[in-house]
Amino acid sequence: MEGRPPDDVALAERARRGDERAFEELVRMHQDMAFRVAYLLTGSAADAEDAAQSGFVKAWTALPRFRKGAPFRPWLLRIVANEAHNRRRSSSRQEALRLRSSAAHPAEDATLSPEGAALGHEQHEELLTAVLRLDERDREILTCRYFLELSEDEAAAALDVRRGTVKSRTARALVRLRLELES
Amino acid sequence: MNPLERALTQLGRELEVPAAPDLVPAVLALIKPRRAVRRSRRRWVLALAAAVLAALVATLAIPDARSALFRVLRIGGVQVELVDELPALVPAPAELPLDLALGKATTLEQARRDAGFELRELDTPPDRVYLGERRTVWFLYGAPSKVRLLVAQTPGVAVDPPLILKKLVSPDTRVEEVAVDGARGYFLDGALHFVLLVDDRGQVIEETVRLARNVLVWEVDGVTYRLEGDFARDEALAVAASLRRK
Repeated sequence: MEGRPPDDVALAERARRGDERAFEELVRMHQDMAFRVAYLLTGSAADAEDAAQSGFVKAWTALPRFRKGAPFRPWLLRIVANEAHNRRRSSSRQEALRLRSSAAHPAEDATLSPEGAALGHEQHEELLTAVLRLDERDREILTCRYFLELSEDEAAAALDVRRGTVKSRTARALVRLRLELES
Repeated sequence: MNPLERALTQLGRELEVPAAPDLVPAVLALIKPRRAVRRSRRRWVLALAAAVLAALVATLAIPDARSALFRVLRIGGVQVELVDELPALVPAPAELPLDLALGKATTLEQARRDAGFELRELDTPPDRVYLGERRTVWFLYGAPSKVRLLVAQTPGVAVDPPLILKKLVSPDTRVEEVAVDGARGYFLDGALHFVLLVDDRGQVIEETVRLARNVLVWEVDGVTYRLEGDFARDEALAVAASLRRK
């Protein structure tokens, strides 16, 4: 698991025992990530805010069942991802994800990273369109692994599947993404 | 990482994500003060110890069934302990969102693929499907706030550490042995019961409380089935009989 500040575990333990101030600190630390996860999974800022907020409230309720000493972030992401998943199903207000129209891309990337050089803005648009054409399961795993840059362990926790399932689902999603790009 | 994976990572960094709102005030306004878990857990452990003791020494007021067999029942992965008095801790149902307690929401089709064993289904598809602890597949009929029927299917494959699902039932709960699909099962009818997940060292790792819901439990070919709902015995048996492999 990626290194988190050591106080993450300590705060989670205090919150597990009912300390609201510790939980407030955890919300502050993780709210950006929770919102980003929910936004990338729902494609709607309103749903993302709703899912992240409800995820924190459910996390508080479920904290007594949280395993002592376990990393808090993957556990929280699982709850938030589940909330986002439920909202995505019931919501019709889905906006397409958009690329940042910043002038910084792609020319600067070309000098920073070889892969950036290979893919200009147009190609990124094409790649994004292909990702959005995939079914929800494929999109979900690619979002977790690449857009959110979660480790395999974190993605497994967030999606509540085994690590091996993350590997196989990622591999299958990449194959289908290639097919989309070629079609 | 291959070029496609690198491109996806790069793309993720260029995605436009709105600024995250400050959730702290709303979250703090919505959470309810919770008593320290350590105390509550100790109470559960004490309650569990009391329950075991009660099961050993008490004369149980169960109609037509006072034999030792009925003090601790085991069906597949479910252990039913009969106790004189239920633990006093009764969290408000609103504090235990059923959605979260059951597991991850999924679809029926997905559950068939992920279950790892052949599911039994009713002719009417469930309204919601969840994948829960111990690879339990839950079918929910109705809505989480108003459940008409819950169907749980748990494979008997040992997990590490092994977990035991315990139900604590009081003398007000009737327990009746029934035959389901040629297998022995039990119908639990009446008062409150508690469901605890206990690890092999007896530590309570998860507890849920369901209110006044009748239960039919049986095991066939290593899979434990549970039906929970406000039904009478014969209705439950009829539902069980129509639960088939597709």
